[in-house]
Amino acid sequence: MAKDTRLEDAVMRGEMSVFEFCCQKVEGQMERMKERNPDLLWTLEIQSVMWHNYRDAQKSGKKLVFFGGPVPVDIIVAFDCIPVYLDTVPIRLSPNPVLTGKFIDSAEKYVPQTTCGLCKTYLGTLLEDQYGSTPDAFVYSAVPCDSSRVVYPNMERLMKVPTFSFDYPYRRDERGLNYLADQTEKFVEWMEDFTGKKLDWDKLKEAMTNSNRTYELQGKCADLRKHKPCPLPGRMLVLNGTSNAMACFPEMGDLLQKELETGEMLIELGMGPCVNGEKHRAALLQNMLWSSSGVMDWLEREYDTVAVMDAFGFQHGDLYQDLDNPRDCYLTMAKKMQNNPMIHGAAGPSENFVYLVDKIFEDYEPDVSLFVGHIGCKHTWASAKMVTDMIQNKYGIPSLYLDVDGIDGRYKSPDEIKAAIAEYMDTVVNK
Amino acid sequence: MDYQKLFESGVNQEAVKAWRAQGKKAIGYICCHVPVEIFEAMDIMPVRLRATDCTESPDADTWMSTFSCSHARGMLQYWMNGTYELDGLVTSDGCMMAARCFDNAEYQDKNINKKNLFFKEIGAPRMYKTNSLARAYYVEEIKGLVKDLEEFTGTKLDNEKLKTVIGKYNEVRALIREIYELRKADKPVISGEDCLKITLSYGDYPVDEYIEMLKAFLADAKNRAPIETGRARLMLIGSAMDNPGYLKVIEDKGGLFVNDAICHGSRPFAYDLEIKGDLIESIADYYLGRILCPRMLDNRVELQKMIVDTCKEFKVDGVVYQKMQYCECWGGESLFLEPDLKAIGVPMLQVEREEHLANAGQLAIRAEAFVEMIEK
Repeated sequence: MAKDTRLEDAVMRGEMSVFEFCCQKVEGQMERMKERNPDLLWTLEIQSVMWHNYRDAQKSGKKLVFFGGPVPVDIIVAFDCIPVYLDTVPIRLSPNPVLTGKFIDSAEKYVPQTTCGLCKTYLGTLLEDQYGSTPDAFVYSAVPCDSSRVVYPNMERLMKVPTFSFDYPYRRDERGLNYLADQTEKFVEWMEDFTGKKLDWDKLKEAMTNSNRTYELQGKCADLRKHKPCPLPGRMLVLNGTSNAMACFPEMGDLLQKELETGEMLIELGMGPCVNGEKHRAALLQNMLWSSSGVMDWLEREYDTVAVMDAFGFQHGDLYQDLDNPRDCYLTMAKKMQNNPMIHGAAGPSENFVYLVDKIFEDYEPDVSLFVGHIGCKHTWASAKMVTDMIQNKYGIPSLYLDVDGIDGRYKSPDEIKAAIAEYMDTVVNK
Repeated sequence: MDYQKLFESGVNQEAVKAWRAQGKKAIGYICCHVPVEIFEAMDIMPVRLRATDCTESPDADTWMSTFSCSHARGMLQYWMNGTYELDGLVTSDGCMMAARCFDNAEYQDKNINKKNLFFKEIGAPRMYKTNSLARAYYVEEIKGLVKDLEEFTGTKLDNEKLKTVIGKYNEVRALIREIYELRKADKPVISGEDCLKITLSYGDYPVDEYIEMLKAFLADAKNRAPIETGRARLMLIGSAMDNPGYLKVIEDKGGLFVNDAICHGSRPFAYDLEIKGDLIESIADYYLGRILCPRMLDNRVELQKMIVDTCKEFKVDGVVYQKMQYCECWGGESLFLEPDLKAIGVPMLQVEREEHLANAGQLAIRAEAFVEMIEK
């Protein structure tokens, strides 16, 4: 039966917005899941909440705040605004190279082809006027990378909406922490001006409490992955990224609670995602394979190898300590921004990246090392040898280097990716 | 004074060797957000790293991968193969490629070569005009650099000496601007290629020697023959450009560069460092406030306006916007700049390039077509 591509076609013709497309896609997926596998419906609920929030915010009188890079999302939510994490758009579209291709091609009229596919997709969506809503404000930070530093300011000028930008210090030290905390205080003032409302500390406390729950649970889920066999599939690592957008919403904690319970149950049963038993444990050293996440299922099926952890750094997030102490909370927000997952080695010295990967090898004991590197992430490529030399010298594990585009599936097909990984598995891991 | 050394565009380490032979330190720096005045005031020769004439970078490619900017790889190659023999390296986080060049150099020297060199990375804010907190942060970063340099050299920074050095660097800036003024003439006496050679040599000599050479050149400039072959006046913008040969290819086809907006060209010399009260604060204001490159996130409008204004002032017929492959920093200016230039009747040629001149033939054809299109 031919694949139903009516939604994709509508986006391609410019007749359907991206937000509408994502809502309808997830609704369809949920319908199918209800019929075939209702026990796993919880894995989609967070997507549904997020995309409907994005699409319907303004209809329900809420302001829509687009944001890029690590920013204190809890504050945006405390002002009753809906935060739209730009990265969610390319990540959601990436399984379909035709769709991302449309927006990437549009962006490449103005930015180099070597710009990160995430940035090109959200710039292209804006150029094509296909978000489906005009943001009320834009908040961005000076990280994660040079691509975003080019694209965010251009988007700011295109959007022409009130904008706040965080200057992100290069190093993660005390000076940088205070610098970010001071900017966070200024951001509160800016939000007060933008919304015309004073900050309601109780609302912020609620957001921070939810956020603490999310990161506590995320830490526990990460710890489950240390178990042998790893109870959770590699594909579930992809879900972690949602917390950048949704950590302070209770639904994110609900998702992780379910993930935790499932993982604990599987540990009790001695089960994992590899049907024939876990033979190898893989660490993903760079970005996520969003455009070809099926590769992780294939690794589990064909090589009994589960991706136990990635180098995004979602293991244990920072938690608020004293929720009644504003400065303490702003400092925690600053720390969260400094340690924000998906920033890892990107935003600062390479030693951060080396340290993070070292921790993964120490804690999760992988024996397969995959530097499946998103080509847009040039600064992590430029740290790759330091990272993989450390793995070789300390853990005796040779790494596979493979260039992919995590967003633009036209760069390398899933079959090409599988072929390269298969060669490494056959000749190095299983030799 | 023989000023011919100004035109030796290759990386020249003779002056550095002579300096170090006196028992003094010479420290390399990457990116022009490092306050060189402080080095010179502490008797340290600042040497700006570049990759001129680096035609291959196999060692650096291994460390940085070929998905990195070849300018950064070229600098790392020169660091690794001993082209630069210095006492240390300082960078600011100008762009991620500059930072990674530094990271790899530091990693190798500390962990593999076991050298005891000075390494320091200072954080330079990316927002200044829209961020009232940036200056205080950068001041502390500079003070941290001073403290570490004092420990490394055993010399205390002397404020009077720093004032004198700032004066000298302002003199350099004024002299370079004087050279750029020569290019306003209908038939200038200096080509874009030669002018770039002069600004490149800034990083190879102690400030006093450089000043003398600039003065000698300017005194002799009136004796230079006006350039008759330029059919179109051009402005060069874009990524770090330290290859005069690139300009030559275009100028050989009838273009004549009369100004630029590049970090190895006019930009580090465009303004004087004004002392207003505290010296370190004045340095911070100067380095953050300059319109230099798109690494600052809140100066794009001013940067593009400066390019448009320069085109008007120097009667530019066309802009050549060269983008180094994998250089994102300079990658996104066309969206708003191109319409602004179009509004004043100045077309823009966009070209991708690598550090070495790999595509000279193709570039020559495109340059010839562009010159034919815009010549008056």
